[in-house]
Amino acid sequence: MTPAEVRDAVADGAVLLDMRPPRPFAQEHVTGAINFQFNRADLVDRAEMALPKSQAFVVHAEPEPIARVAAQILTEAGYAVGGYLEGGLRAWLAAGLPTEMLPLLDVDEVRDRAAEFRVVDTREGFEFRHGHVPGAELLEWSRAWDRAATVPGDRPIALICGDQVRSAYVASVLQRLGKPALLVFGGMADWLERGYPIEKGK
Amino acid sequence: MIFKQYRFEPLAQASYVLGCARAKEAIVVDPSAELGAEAYVLDAADLGLSIVGVFETHVHADYVSCGRELSEMAGVPLRIHEAARGLVRYDVEPFADGAVFDLGKVRLTAVHTPGHTPESTCYVVTDRARTEEPWFVLTGDTLFVGDVGRPDLLVGDQELDVMDEAARARALWESITARLFTLPDSVEVYPAHYGGSTCGGVNMNGKVSSTIGFEKRFNLAMRQPDAAAFARFVKETAKPFPDNYARIKSYNLGLITREALRGATA
Repeated sequence: MTPAEVRDAVADGAVLLDMRPPRPFAQEHVTGAINFQFNRADLVDRAEMALPKSQAFVVHAEPEPIARVAAQILTEAGYAVGGYLEGGLRAWLAAGLPTEMLPLLDVDEVRDRAAEFRVVDTREGFEFRHGHVPGAELLEWSRAWDRAATVPGDRPIALICGDQVRSAYVASVLQRLGKPALLVFGGMADWLERGYPIEKGK
Repeated sequence: MIFKQYRFEPLAQASYVLGCARAKEAIVVDPSAELGAEAYVLDAADLGLSIVGVFETHVHADYVSCGRELSEMAGVPLRIHEAARGLVRYDVEPFADGAVFDLGKVRLTAVHTPGHTPESTCYVVTDRARTEEPWFVLTGDTLFVGDVGRPDLLVGDQELDVMDEAARARALWESITARLFTLPDSVEVYPAHYGGSTCGGVNMNGKVSSTIGFEKRFNLAMRQPDAAAFARFVKETAKPFPDNYARIKSYNLGLITREALRGATA
């Protein structure tokens, strides 16, 4: 799909699935896009856990062969995929269409400025109970699509997971709703590596 | 550290994807057109990695590279040692001996090892998350498991060949003894070919990796007493030439088109 066709599909209610890794997504993405990282092994399993089949999607991935394969895999799994953004972000920008970024945090900032943030852990419940940032709330990534609207947007929301794949997905869902989402790049792996304190249970 | 070897069995050719699991960045070394640029792109994506560079150990003569297609598709530079400058007829980012490339904690250091070809380069890899010591080396067609890269794959054009067979054999001996066999014995060897390939001699082993220490002790070509004996040994133990190698080399240099190459092989 050309950038104009993608723009029109989105105006008609389609959601753009940006399947690039979290870092390039955070740097710049199509306004309103959801970050859902590609991989062939479990794309369908992950999609079926998180994304409704009643929703229309358009795919963005780079390089382009990934977008083609992703659109095909999701279509075969029963998702309504209108196509993929031809030419990627470069073509989108060349057409003068809007983009946004997702701010990044590292674990040091989360620790040093904890009071400023609502820390939301997006891993599975069992991972959360095993150890999380003190005071963090749990919002399992697979439930974010339905529950994101219930997360208060009164202060910046720092999204964290094991690294940054699930948290980037949830951050993008929140950002799409206009909430002040930030992505903790490096996640619990960095937090634990630094020897920062954790809270268990709950 | 993420590290994968890709093998194209009909030519006993190995290419590599390596990267940093934390930085989520990867490079591809010696990509093969038989596997195709898309295969590397999709595979890197499966690993959650973005391809940030494409490297050649040298300009290959026995298989068709997809380095150009891959670097264009991924929008990243194609890198090769500066001795290839003026020989290759397409855009590359040349580097000098000792050049260092970092992918997060993974460090690639270029070691120029002329011999098989003038621009041949080995890449020493370190995972600095574990240690500053080198862990393994991608040896291209310089050092194989049990054998060495042949110094006689000339295309018959002085300007392109640059060094003759005798000079290449001397350089190869020097490169391996002075640059590779000075690495710690524990360093693993990952070559661009293994047993069955015609880029080395009859002593190439079917095993797809070795170590510097093992090759020092048991590589028959490198067990020769000096460069002259080495050159004789390599000539005596050579295999028949690879099929169509002059034209494949010409394609990989950018001198002929893929269509012209296909016409020649059809």
